[in-house]
Amino acid sequence: MKRADILLVSIVLIAALAFLVPRWLSDDKGGPGKNLVANITVDGKLFKTVELTEEEQTIDVRTDHGYNILKVHDYGIEMYDADCPDKVCLGFGFITLPKQTIVCLPHRVLVEIASASGGDDVDAYVQ
Amino acid sequence: MPMSSKESTTALKRTVIVALFAAVAVVLSIVEAQIPLAGMGLMPGAKLGFANIMILTCIYFLRARDAFVLVLLKTLLTAFILGTFSSLLFSLFGSLFSFAVMYVLVRFGGKRLSVIGISIAGGLAHNTGQLLAASIVLKSSSTFYYFPMLLITGVVTGILVGFAVRYVVASLSKISLFEEFLKPDQQLRKD
Repeated sequence: MKRADILLVSIVLIAALAFLVPRWLSDDKGGPGKNLVANITVDGKLFKTVELTEEEQTIDVRTDHGYNILKVHDYGIEMYDADCPDKVCLGFGFITLPKQTIVCLPHRVLVEIASASGGDDVDAYVQ
Repeated sequence: MPMSSKESTTALKRTVIVALFAAVAVVLSIVEAQIPLAGMGLMPGAKLGFANIMILTCIYFLRARDAFVLVLLKTLLTAFILGTFSSLLFSLFGSLFSFAVMYVLVRFGGKRLSVIGISIAGGLAHNTGQLLAASIVLKSSSTFYYFPMLLITGVVTGILVGFAVRYVVASLSKISLFEEFLKPDQQLRKD
């Protein structure tokens, strides 16, 4: 490795940490009493907003692209099943924190957690 | 315009090398598709980028247009074999962006960056390109939540790919097929 290589690696790692460390330190945690919601968008249009409750809810997202089944439980949400070809969306697992997302690219489905109080999070949608 | 026998031999060799590299790149893509990275708690959809080994090696030996053909062949053939047409555009976007960055760095920054640095830059460009394509399709910038994770995985896989390219280029340089494509000025093995 040359000096420029090490410089490149350090800059990239510092940049990544600059994004990650504030995220770890913030007390922006999910859980009871936080009133988080999940915004489900398809093709950039809002499909549904669901409250993240402790009780289980199942959301069917059926569009021309195919179907995705989301499951809400324990103040979080996960992709339960989908008929997309790559199944990458199932790999995102169970998410509970604001700004976390689940993406199903083949079906153009995006699930993003936001706080229900709203106001601060609307900047996420670019039309 | 008829080519001299030497010219046509070189053209034939180039074609053979691109075909060989494309075959190896496709096999590497298929192999890495079987590795369940998402199950290991990593970024879903993250890949090791093994095929990049062949693309970077091709940039070192051949011309830009040969490497460009290799990128197209590899992406199309992988989509055909794995049946991932829905993500074809994303892979193409990422691969071409990565190819452009690596080519520019090899030609104009090859003295300062070693092959490892170039492969890291290529991996990062690939990730960024795919994320950009995803945010365009989803009409949302929230996919950039995963950008820092992709930066870190890009560096790690870039280092692995870079070491692999160093060994591949050193070994291929001993084969007579590659003799006339050697570029001693690029100082690939200098650390």
